[in-house]
Amino acid sequence: MNVELAKRTVAGLKEAGIDFVTYVPETRMSEILPLMKGEESIALVPVASEAEAVGIAAGAALGGKRAAVYMEGTGLFVSTYNLLTVGERYGVPMLLLIAYVGSFEDRRNSFLFSHYGTKTTGILDTLGIQYQVIGSGDGLEARIKDATRMMHALKLPVALLFTGEFTE
Amino acid sequence: MIRYECFEWLAPLLTDQLVVTSLSGQRVEWGHLSKREADLNLGSMGNALAVGIGLALALPHRKVFVLESDGSVLLSLFNLPTLANLNPPNMAVFVFDNQAYSGTRISYPSATAGKTDLAAVAKGSGIDTAVTVSQLEDFKREATLALNEVGLRFVVCKITESLGHRGIIRSDMDLLETKYRFVRYLERTEGKAIFHGRG
Repeated sequence: MNVELAKRTVAGLKEAGIDFVTYVPETRMSEILPLMKGEESIALVPVASEAEAVGIAAGAALGGKRAAVYMEGTGLFVSTYNLLTVGERYGVPMLLLIAYVGSFEDRRNSFLFSHYGTKTTGILDTLGIQYQVIGSGDGLEARIKDATRMMHALKLPVALLFTGEFTE
Repeated sequence: MIRYECFEWLAPLLTDQLVVTSLSGQRVEWGHLSKREADLNLGSMGNALAVGIGLALALPHRKVFVLESDGSVLLSLFNLPTLANLNPPNMAVFVFDNQAYSGTRISYPSATAGKTDLAAVAKGSGIDTAVTVSQLEDFKREATLALNEVGLRFVVCKITESLGHRGIIRSDMDLLETKYRFVRYLERTEGKAIFHGRG
């Protein structure tokens, strides 16, 4: 992910009002981490598992934060139970920022990830989580803002799946 | 000691503290004894610690009590290193460890009935203050400290398994009602909007 795209992503999150981000580090979009760390308006919370990343974000959202969870696509499978039992069942708005590994446009796709990536949207569909696939920087800031508006409107987790240019 | 007598003692002492419970008999017992808007009784295992951490970070001026069980903590052990490193000073965790999966129909031993010591796991994760208590007076002392002192507390309460919760008529409050009651209470007491977007 090039630095310019990383800057625009973090600026977009800030503009959308995101002020609390939990994460497990991953490769594809890792350039956003130091930028978020340097952003005073965003509380960045490192965790050990995507499962608790969802739970902690849920607690923060219920406490008044506008929360996001940044994870690799494989983390979606780790956190499915938590997305269902807290995110969906309680109706907690949170923005899932997912590096869409193993997708068609993932430019580092390989036999390692393709079998995970091709099941990602199926999991989201099953959970009833609305999502958008973002493969380029076109309209990036607006798409982040739209997703944030949608998560508040639905009072549910909403996902952005980053692939294409975001995986270079 | 048994869990219910701990709860009977603790419930009347709470004022504006937030309480998060996990699933299991304790959810039933706490929900029976406490009808506070500041209670968030979760309907799942393995989530209370994480949700409690999120609340503690979002509202650093509010005390957050998490009432956990051995089965639920064992399901989410990854929370312990995270809790240690974040070290929220406004959070108190009480793990009611009856060494069993004591649901509605079964009582099957958990790992803590064997070799596992949850306070030792917590300490090994970096929660230096983790302790184990097994007497009601010791629970009262730790809970009093949690109510009055600043600093993360992690208290494993070794309890005798009791089946009283199986005889309690369960609340018919839907989980969404629980959420809205909790969030509207926070909006009122914190003076801020939490859910965004008006129709």
